[in-house]
Amino acid sequence: MCRLNPFLLLGFFSILLTNINASDQKILPYPISQYKLANGLNVVTVPFDSPGLASFYIVVRVGSRNEVESGVTGFAHFFEHMMFRGTDKYPREEYNSVLKMTGAGANANTSLDRTIYHMTGNVDYLEKMFELESDRFMNLHYPEHDFKVEAGAVKGEYTKNFANPYQRLYESLLNTAFDVHTYKHTTMGFFNDIVDMPNQYEYSLKFFDRYYRPEYSTIVVVGDVTADEVNALADKYFSEWKAGNYTVAIPPEPEQTEKKTVHLQDGSIPPYLSLNYKGPAFSDSKIDMAALDVLSTLLFSENSDLYKKLVVEEQKLRFLGGGAMNSRDPYLINIQASFISKDDFQYVRDEITKAIDHIKTNGVSQKILDETKSNLKYSYAMSIDNPDAIANSLCHFIYLTGDPESLNKFYALYDKVTNEDIKMVANKFFNDSGLTIATISADEIGGVK
Amino acid sequence: MKALIISILLTGFIMAQQVVELKQPNSSKMVVKFMFKNGSVCDPQGKEGLTYTTSQLINQGGTGELTFSDIQDKIYPMAASYFSTVDKEVTIFTFLFHKDWLEQFYPIMIGLITNPSLNQSDFDRVKNNQQAYVDQVIRASSDEEYSKKALEDFLFRGTNYQHMVEGKTASAAAIILDDVKNHYKNFFTKNNLMIGIAGDYPDSFLEKLKSDIEKLPDTKPAIPAPPVVKMPDGIEVEIISKEGAFGSAIFTGYPLSITRADDEFAALMVANSYLGEHRKSYAKLYQVIREQRSMNYGDYSYIEWYHNGGGNMVPPSGVPRQSNYFALWIRPVQIAKQLKMQYEELKDVNVGHAHFALRMALREMDKMIKNGLSEEDFEATRAFLKSYIRLYIKSPDQQLGYLMDSKMYGRDNYIEELSELLSDLTLEDVNNAIKKYMQIYNMKITIVTDVSEAQPLAESLKNNTISPMTYSNLVKAGLSEDILSEDAATENFKLNVKIVTVVDSKDTFK
Repeated sequence: MCRLNPFLLLGFFSILLTNINASDQKILPYPISQYKLANGLNVVTVPFDSPGLASFYIVVRVGSRNEVESGVTGFAHFFEHMMFRGTDKYPREEYNSVLKMTGAGANANTSLDRTIYHMTGNVDYLEKMFELESDRFMNLHYPEHDFKVEAGAVKGEYTKNFANPYQRLYESLLNTAFDVHTYKHTTMGFFNDIVDMPNQYEYSLKFFDRYYRPEYSTIVVVGDVTADEVNALADKYFSEWKAGNYTVAIPPEPEQTEKKTVHLQDGSIPPYLSLNYKGPAFSDSKIDMAALDVLSTLLFSENSDLYKKLVVEEQKLRFLGGGAMNSRDPYLINIQASFISKDDFQYVRDEITKAIDHIKTNGVSQKILDETKSNLKYSYAMSIDNPDAIANSLCHFIYLTGDPESLNKFYALYDKVTNEDIKMVANKFFNDSGLTIATISADEIGGVK
Repeated sequence: MKALIISILLTGFIMAQQVVELKQPNSSKMVVKFMFKNGSVCDPQGKEGLTYTTSQLINQGGTGELTFSDIQDKIYPMAASYFSTVDKEVTIFTFLFHKDWLEQFYPIMIGLITNPSLNQSDFDRVKNNQQAYVDQVIRASSDEEYSKKALEDFLFRGTNYQHMVEGKTASAAAIILDDVKNHYKNFFTKNNLMIGIAGDYPDSFLEKLKSDIEKLPDTKPAIPAPPVVKMPDGIEVEIISKEGAFGSAIFTGYPLSITRADDEFAALMVANSYLGEHRKSYAKLYQVIREQRSMNYGDYSYIEWYHNGGGNMVPPSGVPRQSNYFALWIRPVQIAKQLKMQYEELKDVNVGHAHFALRMALREMDKMIKNGLSEEDFEATRAFLKSYIRLYIKSPDQQLGYLMDSKMYGRDNYIEELSELLSDLTLEDVNNAIKKYMQIYNMKITIVTDVSEAQPLAESLKNNTISPMTYSNLVKAGLSEDILSEDAATENFKLNVKIVTVVDSKDTFK
């Protein structure tokens, strides 16, 4: 098919947003089309004004959370690498050549709860993208030697990450904060397991068989497409995909009952403190996570009282930030601070606690509550200026709940957050019994109470 | 094209009131950029980092009417944001806001640019962070970024491109508030400014902006010329020895005489993409080093500065440069200490994979130089690029940025023109460009590695010692004949190494 080159027209992307603070307005100003195949695969389409361009995403609801067996931490991420190792129809070199032909930007990434595969490129090649993806999702077949070799690339990734002290602290933080839940390890996995990965070929076959199934996956297409076109392609290329029946039992984390600490002795970077409170699992119907987002935004934004005092006026801190991460199971609410001097660790910890305690009792003003809701919505509206950004944000909510409409539902929840909700979540989650304090300094111990 | 640009530069780079417009009637997002032709090349000697301090103080400070915190209060419900970036030759302030807030945000934006408060308290805050970056963060947070900045320090030594935009330990410490005030007056002027605006805005908005920007200083800035760097004589290696490094992070580079301004750049782009397209598995370096041998996370080549390669999948705008260089990025490979710990069968290795990886990268490049691209590789790579360059301008911010950069290179719309240049290319053009601009004999190399690895690696490089690839037994057992014979040809591939020095990490960027 020959098309005019639409990319050369100025102003080809548009963002249509009106009445952003109107409570009846969905945060995503484009309709979300959903189409479910008989095998359980959900197909999500959002037409968007990006002439000639489409983003094609597959989100698989498997991440390091699913790594329940010992010795195989980091496997969801490793498996993401293996998905680029070819099939009988498209061996690795052939896959690379065809992908190159499409001119798409293609990659993948893994996190706690999901693995995302994505391609963004010329919409003329959308069918080729469907064909390539359906082939590897249904027929992945890599030689055992390739499997062993690829493990080296994962070790290379760990090696580059390990240079960063914050990464090293994060690894220890999770290992300390969690006792039994799989959030205990990072998505990279424990280093010993990474070194052992070449020995896990058989497990990799089992992993593919368990999780790379339609019921775990959702296709998301955003851009210069119609739902009919996308659904027809999904029918053509994915209807033969067989559903599985595996369900994983994630060990629930027992309630934390006392404060924990973890410290990294490293004087090579500015002193650092993070306060990590056990938070809630994501929900698009319960108010907790929405209220926590509002609370952490107003507590740690650059206009917050804490930021003004500690960063701007007293200049004790270089940086202050915080928020709760969305995850399927309860994870951490993280507050981070980078210091001028480690001597201020305790002072800053106390000031943060004081600010939270104040809210526990007194709540916040209606003005700051309204402004914060406005901030959250405008932030989102400003972020969705291209098809990739929209696809990514849909995938975020799909991996959390399985439903892309959770995006609209969750932003609608912000409107419902009241001062009482703010006080409720401050009291419920910001307690020392659920806290892990993590520090980096040149000292042997962190010393923060 | 090139001659034209040079003549403009010599006559003082006419940019006053240059405006790039990108009208987007359906968009509610506004992007406004102020690009000053004033980068780190303008830093005075002994005060390297001053342009960065100035831009940060504008960005992190207030206006004549509002403090930094006042501004944060006002923009909070708007979720408006702004930031500055400094490169060697330009400083850019980018403002992002929703058109609902056009009127409310405007005075803040124009106030920050034309009437920044530049006070001592904000200065102390900004300067403290800058000092921490040059003293600590660059050395400690990413060995890859460290080796990249160290390469620029090495390749451009003695020129105004040498120092990081954030400066050096001593120079950052020497900057005082009065320096910033003077620098603002002398270099952030209406005579070296380009304005970029994208979104759905009334003409009156732009007219007011053009009128108010006249309040900028009217100084005629004395912009120093970018350096012309001599080709190194042979391969010179600087190994940075660092306590506790987990791998060897490698960057190499040599000066390149062409830029985007030259039409021939498109031909070189095809060759570079074939050899080492950034983060792409279809490129040769990636295939031989990562995919076939899994020595690291990736291996790429560049024909222009690529900002934050670890974070960006496509090249960001806002870094136009006249002094250009070719680079190879070999991501951290294993060191001997780690290999010994991980595999019993490798307990006797003395040097990790850095020497072999360098040989493999340069040998692969050498093959391309000697053989050129085939017709098939040429067509495939060109087709890829013709689609892929569209992804550089996915968002309005990127579109505007690329249009503004185009002007810096004397072009009207680089992406559009590049597309045409790619269409017109022949295989012969590409292979001629390879012969003309690519070589493996003269370059500078920086390697950030562990103290245990530095000296043995230095000896190995200096003596051109044979460096067999060391695999674990598990992987070794399945290697094909092809891989083994390539390895055998690589392990003693001669590198034109002339000088190898080992530098203590503590002594870099002083």
